[in-house]
Amino acid sequence: MTALSEANLDLWRDLEGGDVLRICLTCGSCVSDCPASEADPPLLIRTLLRMVELGLEDNLLEEDTPWSCVTCSRCEEVCPMDVRPFEICLALRRWQCRNDSTRIPLSTTEIYQRGYTQPVDRVEELRRSVGLSGKLPVITADPELLAKFQAMLMEIDVIRDHDFMFKG
Amino acid sequence: MPRLGIDLVDLEGYVCCPAFGTFPSLDEDAHLAVSAWNLSLGEDKGVDLLVECGSCYSSLRLGRALLARDEGRRERVNVLLAKAGKHYEGKAKPRHIIDVLYHEVGVDRIRESLESTLAGTHAALQHPCHTLYPSEVVGFEESPAAPRVLGELVRALGADVREYSREHHCCGGAGGFRHSSHAEAYRYTRKKLDAIRNETDADYIVVSCITCLMHLDEAQKELSGNNGDRPIPVFDYSQLLALCMGFSPGEVAAISTVSRDRVTERFAAV
Repeated sequence: MTALSEANLDLWRDLEGGDVLRICLTCGSCVSDCPASEADPPLLIRTLLRMVELGLEDNLLEEDTPWSCVTCSRCEEVCPMDVRPFEICLALRRWQCRNDSTRIPLSTTEIYQRGYTQPVDRVEELRRSVGLSGKLPVITADPELLAKFQAMLMEIDVIRDHDFMFKG
Repeated sequence: MPRLGIDLVDLEGYVCCPAFGTFPSLDEDAHLAVSAWNLSLGEDKGVDLLVECGSCYSSLRLGRALLARDEGRRERVNVLLAKAGKHYEGKAKPRHIIDVLYHEVGVDRIRESLESTLAGTHAALQHPCHTLYPSEVVGFEESPAAPRVLGELVRALGADVREYSREHHCCGGAGGFRHSSHAEAYRYTRKKLDAIRNETDADYIVVSCITCLMHLDEAQKELSGNNGDRPIPVFDYSQLLALCMGFSPGEVAAISTVSRDRVTERFAAV
């Protein structure tokens, strides 16, 4: 546990959208209809938001539960204060990635390399079997455009700093 | 869609939407640059984007909303896009397929396009969460708590819609839940499938999201195993529409885990 005297009370400033946390009523509506609140361990978004407010950095870095979110955004609809808990959940994941590179989703390196996480260019046979055209006009069909896409992403700090992961 | 008056054009150079577990979980500028990349492809052709997948739709809508909310973000993203000779203004709008079918095509035109119907069959609905919440970003229903669009579209095909207690719950298949807590996520899905079995006489489930489709279909294999649960075939709405419009089951409804034969056999004879 982190002693409150050692907590980083400015932590909310490091999260995009974090300023609205100060108006959170901690009512728990966000958790009440959250599918991933039934996960093990449960995703308790209200608790995570409180941890950000209290500045409990070390505990938050260890938290895997933000990654259990189903992205359904019910919490955003029911929040009476428009805190946008789902967006803060994503911001929390980004903050973890910035502070712990082992959190960087490998799926981002797949998109960098071939535009998609799903192998969409490898389903030609299945597509033909149901009468669809084989080739899809996705980015891998245009290597020059893919190179431009990759150059664009390389402008982003967290990607350039971990280019060994992205260039594969 | 062309037979319903909607012309479709392929976008060239499309990339992942981006899925929420990818760039949106890594870096905000990367997230919005990828969203703007895809949206700019539609903008360049002067068209909106038609989307079936719930999370692709929600991701594109959120990207567009975040870019509209803050000029600073828009400027940063355009500096990034300029490296690839692209530009984003926000003209192209992502539209979900049931929104377009209901609000642009309309149930009357759908009814007129049918060669056969689903009359006498019973449907249970899985409303796509990503088209409901947050309603200010993704919504096209009058009330996200009482969505009507999917049900109206299913009724237009002649089917009866059966309500059940967990109709408004998530399918359990999206995001990280299924990966981080496999047993709990499947238990969550089981509650929905049990509610459909115990409370309705539904012949099939209708979804309009690829994740709901794959998850509710595939999860039944793992959940039912050998314990004799009644299997319920799962269809995307566009598959049922295409069947009723006269397309063959082999073309439009061939890929599934739970057999769809009990439903599709009525179309094979047409």
